[in-house]
Amino acid sequence: MPYTTGMDPKGPIPVSLFFTCLADAFSPGVCTATVEVLERFGATVRVPLSQTCCGQPAFNSGNRKEARAMARKFLLSFPDDGFIVTPSGSCAAMVKHGYPVLFRDEPRMLARARAIGERIFELSQFLVDVLGVTDPKSDFSGKVTYHDSCHLRRGLGVIEAPRKLLRAVPGIEFVEMEESDRCCGFGGVFSLKYPQISCKMTERKVERILATGASYVTSGDLGCLLNIGGLISRIGYPVKTIHLAEILAGKTAGKEDAG
Amino acid sequence: MELNANAFGRNARKALLDKTLQEALGRTTGRFQAHRDAAVAALPEFEATRERASRIKGDVLDHLDTYLARFIEEAEKRGTIVHVARDAAQAREIAARIAWEEGITLAVKSKSMASEEVSFNEALQGAGVTVVESDLGEFIIQLAGEAPSHIIAPAVHKTREEISLLFERHLGEPRTDSIPELVGMARKHLRAKFLSAGMGVSGGNFLVADTGSVVLVTNEGNGRMGTVLPRVHLAVVGIEKVIPRMADLPTFLRLLPRSASGQVISSYVSIVTGTRRAGDPEGPERMHLLLLDCGRSAILEGKYREILKCIRCAACLNSCPVYQSVGGHAYGWVYSGPIGAVLTPLLVGLPEAAALPDASTLCGACADVCPVKIPLPDFLLELRSDAREQGLKTPGEIAAMKGYAGVMKRAGLLEAIERIAGVLGQFFTKGKGISGLPYPFSGWTERRDFPAPAAEPFRKQWKIKRGVTR
Repeated sequence: MPYTTGMDPKGPIPVSLFFTCLADAFSPGVCTATVEVLERFGATVRVPLSQTCCGQPAFNSGNRKEARAMARKFLLSFPDDGFIVTPSGSCAAMVKHGYPVLFRDEPRMLARARAIGERIFELSQFLVDVLGVTDPKSDFSGKVTYHDSCHLRRGLGVIEAPRKLLRAVPGIEFVEMEESDRCCGFGGVFSLKYPQISCKMTERKVERILATGASYVTSGDLGCLLNIGGLISRIGYPVKTIHLAEILAGKTAGKEDAG
Repeated sequence: MELNANAFGRNARKALLDKTLQEALGRTTGRFQAHRDAAVAALPEFEATRERASRIKGDVLDHLDTYLARFIEEAEKRGTIVHVARDAAQAREIAARIAWEEGITLAVKSKSMASEEVSFNEALQGAGVTVVESDLGEFIIQLAGEAPSHIIAPAVHKTREEISLLFERHLGEPRTDSIPELVGMARKHLRAKFLSAGMGVSGGNFLVADTGSVVLVTNEGNGRMGTVLPRVHLAVVGIEKVIPRMADLPTFLRLLPRSASGQVISSYVSIVTGTRRAGDPEGPERMHLLLLDCGRSAILEGKYREILKCIRCAACLNSCPVYQSVGGHAYGWVYSGPIGAVLTPLLVGLPEAAALPDASTLCGACADVCPVKIPLPDFLLELRSDAREQGLKTPGEIAAMKGYAGVMKRAGLLEAIERIAGVLGQFFTKGKGISGLPYPFSGWTERRDFPAPAAEPFRKQWKIKRGVTR
């Protein structure tokens, strides 16, 4: 069901970019690509420069005091109106589902968290469900397989949007991998606390990716891609990781981050 | 059962290197999951049934005292002698006393996870009773001297080769790799036990309050035989297993076998209602029910109450990529997988099992399949937070978190650090991945590269491009 905005569809679409600390530090091309795609479909993008990290690593490891401090900063960094779009299912899910837990005993912050949670979208979700994009107008070409990030798929319930977009790119031969919805083993702090289990899971994911014969594996979360890409680069497998935003932006964008 | 949950990391590393275990896990866990998914897909009203089951269980937990009282009243009316054990020690004491008073020397037992919580077999053996596990999987691991590694498939970690070896050593049977032959050997050996045992011990999947019945969901017929042939039947069941009405049972029977093994219905569903009545062709003369509290009342009072909705189907284990990677023994107690990672700390105390809530990527696959909609990932998060509050985190982790939160307080500071890291990263790695990092990141780079930080973070790029000076 399309998200109803109550706004004039021909009017400006105000979007604040939540670029995520991970992409900021490791893959700025993902952020640039996100802006490019959003602007292509008529969004007026602004980037709140005081944003840092949503606090998910602290929240997920049980360190709520620190997570709450970061969440508070996040909530104050973003404006009171317009959409918030991010190239990460995981970070969007943190704001949407994690913040209400963090602020369950603070009614005012809770209300603000809920209100922001209503306005936050992962990129593919925003394009398909809010803007109704059917053709991403990307000139990317290659054989591509898609990994469902756990938090995009099960956290936000976004399953079809990225696939619809990928299938609509004329130059892409889209191929599903087996167990595309199986966790890649990243899990944030999990990958540091139990690295051997994490790697075992990543190996299985990479096996499934290789079995498709795709040249690119893409996903809506950079965390998964850094994890999967770390194993691919260590062994030297003939497949590249590339963020969904970079594919949607097209072959000119984000090249330096691929693989 | 001996508790070793805080050794999860060490146990898991051992499990990952165990080739036989890995082979066994690879063979079975995927199959369980595929069967479950197919069975669920073939039942259009699965979601609605799941919703109803979760609601019924929620109602039970809201009024557990009332439903339990009703159940006990109805069960006693039908000749069942009901005992309640506050903790494991009391449960063992009651079990031993029942065996002694009934003059039991041999007991056949069908599968019961609850009995593992209280080291039931050891209690009876201490009272001079020989206990023979009659579920095929339990029979196998009893011969091996091991604990169950899965809620419904206790010997899932064993390959048929290992099982044949055990049967050769303990039963004097010839080696075979035929599963039907192995089953035949176990059956032959067990038949004699069923006929001579004075007491049959069972677990219980549901306790029906309005009829006082104990419901057993099994596949091998051993549960049926063990509850009708011996003179005495003793059922060991957790207090949370009560459901209000017999009319609620079909809801759960629709969910349990489908979620557990992908079966539409299990081979046997036994509804045991009291002792043998006049005119009954079979059934026990004496029936005891040992209700286990063992920490459940305490859970009921707190924020994890919903964990008591669990019907022990093991779908969360089968769907969990961590369980699939390391098997059940790594979790170091009775329950494994996501349910174990939550339930074990709640039953034995978080300090004794704080390693378990961390044993998950929070991927959410467990919550997706849970037939009673327990929010397992939320509970894992909550337990991790409890661990911090109870002082169970390492000073290193807390210091790291404080440092990280401190940096994230100021975008300018973060940007400065990113830019320094970017310069160093580019200098040392030439933009390629990093192949070796110091602790606590060393685990990551053992078999994976870590990305090099970008030369210039996005925030800086944006400022330059858009001419933002702030």
